[in-house]
Amino acid sequence: MPTREKSRCPSCGAEMNFHAEKLDVSRALTEPDAVDSELGGVVEEFHTCPVCKFVLERGAAR
Amino acid sequence: MTVALDKSLFIPVILGTPRQGRMSEHVAKFVLAQVETLPGVETELFDVRTLSFPTTDAGEQIKHPAFSDAMMRADALVIVAPEYNHGYPGILKHVLDTNLKEYVHKAVGLVGVSAGPWGGTRVVQNLLPVMRELGLVTIFWDGNFPNVQRAFDPATGALVEPAYVRRLEKFLRELVWMAKVLRYGREKVPLE
Repeated sequence: MPTREKSRCPSCGAEMNFHAEKLDVSRALTEPDAVDSELGGVVEEFHTCPVCKFVLERGAAR
Repeated sequence: MTVALDKSLFIPVILGTPRQGRMSEHVAKFVLAQVETLPGVETELFDVRTLSFPTTDAGEQIKHPAFSDAMMRADALVIVAPEYNHGYPGILKHVLDTNLKEYVHKAVGLVGVSAGPWGGTRVVQNLLPVMRELGLVTIFWDGNFPNVQRAFDPATGALVEPAYVRRLEKFLRELVWMAKVLRYGREKVPLE
């Protein structure tokens, strides 16, 4: 698997761990251009900071 | 690999009904007291009656800063829910729906409460798919409080059925284990 660059915590600056993805199908209504047509929704990534517990949610890179 | 278990766990308890005369309040306070006895665990009670969420919108548009901060800090949740017409209180769902990222890959334990003999088994069953969609991970111990009016002194709220102490001990042991494992996963195990 290719190594991806780790996110930095916007709260404390520590390196975050990317541990989950979720398909948000409701956003097909509000952001049709962002929808991954094969998956039928927008893929969101979840990153957790091991230092301060901050959770970052962001759209997955396509 | 080392597991960062030096940090304490935060396991808030959510009281899921605002109704007057609610017996679930006795259950939630009992659960909170039991969680407080766990070494290395911090807790706090969140009562949907006092959280004050507007009902003119829903979801992440109406986040409550203190509640969302607590959910982000949480390693696991305990939800105390009475069974109303075989379902969960609408206000509980309304409150839970205000967050998502705060819940992902965190443990949840469900405690059902009923005046009848089934102990909220149906509210627990009906909450399971909701928990899954919110990204929470359920455990296979539940808390069930049937005939709740007999389990607590209605005047003082004191527990009068001591068997619940041991039952909740088992439930919390499993919840803490799951909370530790999932915290390790969130912090250390990348999605590949």
